[in-house]
Amino acid sequence: MTDIIWGTVTKIISINSFEMNVSHQKDTNNDSYQDVEEIHFTEVNIPSIPVDEASRNVSDIEQNLKDKFVKCEISGRNSENRLVCAVSHSGAGGY
Amino acid sequence: MYSKLWQNHDLDAADLTSGKTPFIVIPNVISEYTCASLSEKILKNYKTVPGPGIKNKIGTSLGSHIYEKSKYFLNSKKSNASIQKIFSDSHSPLKSMHQIISQTFQKQVSTASENEMSYSDCVIRIHNAGDSVHLHRDNCNFEMSDYTVSKYKNQLSAILYLQSPERGGELTVYDEQWTRYDERSRQPDFGYSFDLVNGVSYTSISPIVGNLVLLNPNFYHKVESVYGGKSRVSVGFFFGESSTSELSCWT
Repeated sequence: MTDIIWGTVTKIISINSFEMNVSHQKDTNNDSYQDVEEIHFTEVNIPSIPVDEASRNVSDIEQNLKDKFVKCEISGRNSENRLVCAVSHSGAGGY
Repeated sequence: MYSKLWQNHDLDAADLTSGKTPFIVIPNVISEYTCASLSEKILKNYKTVPGPGIKNKIGTSLGSHIYEKSKYFLNSKKSNASIQKIFSDSHSPLKSMHQIISQTFQKQVSTASENEMSYSDCVIRIHNAGDSVHLHRDNCNFEMSDYTVSKYKNQLSAILYLQSPERGGELTVYDEQWTRYDERSRQPDFGYSFDLVNGVSYTSISPIVGNLVLLNPNFYHKVESVYGGKSRVSVGFFFGESSTSELSCWT
């Protein structure tokens, strides 16, 4: 089973990476994660963020992800110690 | 605790949008008889669906389709047809709600539209015994930026009670407004951690049949557990300023 963490995006690092505060971890995760993790996203299920990396810029990513609560499905860690994840928004703050 | 004056609908509506007043309760918007006949019709004949934070509702909402805009408008069309059918052979509570809001704010009121597609007119929420709604706030400015209504200013919520439960089901409104920083206290599925309102004063609004609540939904709120065999039934929608003279509604 894929490990999953949730939290808010605190800083955009590049067009495919950000820093997040990890507030929730799935009970059945195989690993445990730090309170702050850097995420390298390979997939992003947010329509306003282009799938094609060449069409993205940091400012757009910031507009769509900064301070947002996201769900990260983890596939591993890369050489920069970033979690490699598929990222999507999670749930809703209200109706 | 809030002053009772906050329940006086003669107060300046600007106090509601500014957050000075978290809510206004307007009593007897429609008759008990109309509420009873509508509730009976709803509970006997209509299929409900679950949504974010709620087990049973009739009608669609943005919260169910944050990133599925086409599907939202498709479902809104079906949802509006279904709700118009429920309200077809009796006094329409939606019409009454629009009229009262129009009088209160001195603006025209109608359902929002985008590219000639109508937003969902309203949602009917049904809470049965044991149901409650977790602490949350409603404001599509932040989460639903793909939709035109997210640009509307001074977003408010309207809730009309059609049926009261035997006990419970109060709307608890906390004297605490959401800020972006609070996203750090989000729950994965719906709403926020109770830590945000720990020690904060609040008011409980009883779901009295025929009463209309106009709420600034940026204040944290929740619905208390319902007890007994009678369901809590309400009709609700959000509205905001689409222009200086118009208010547009959606769910």
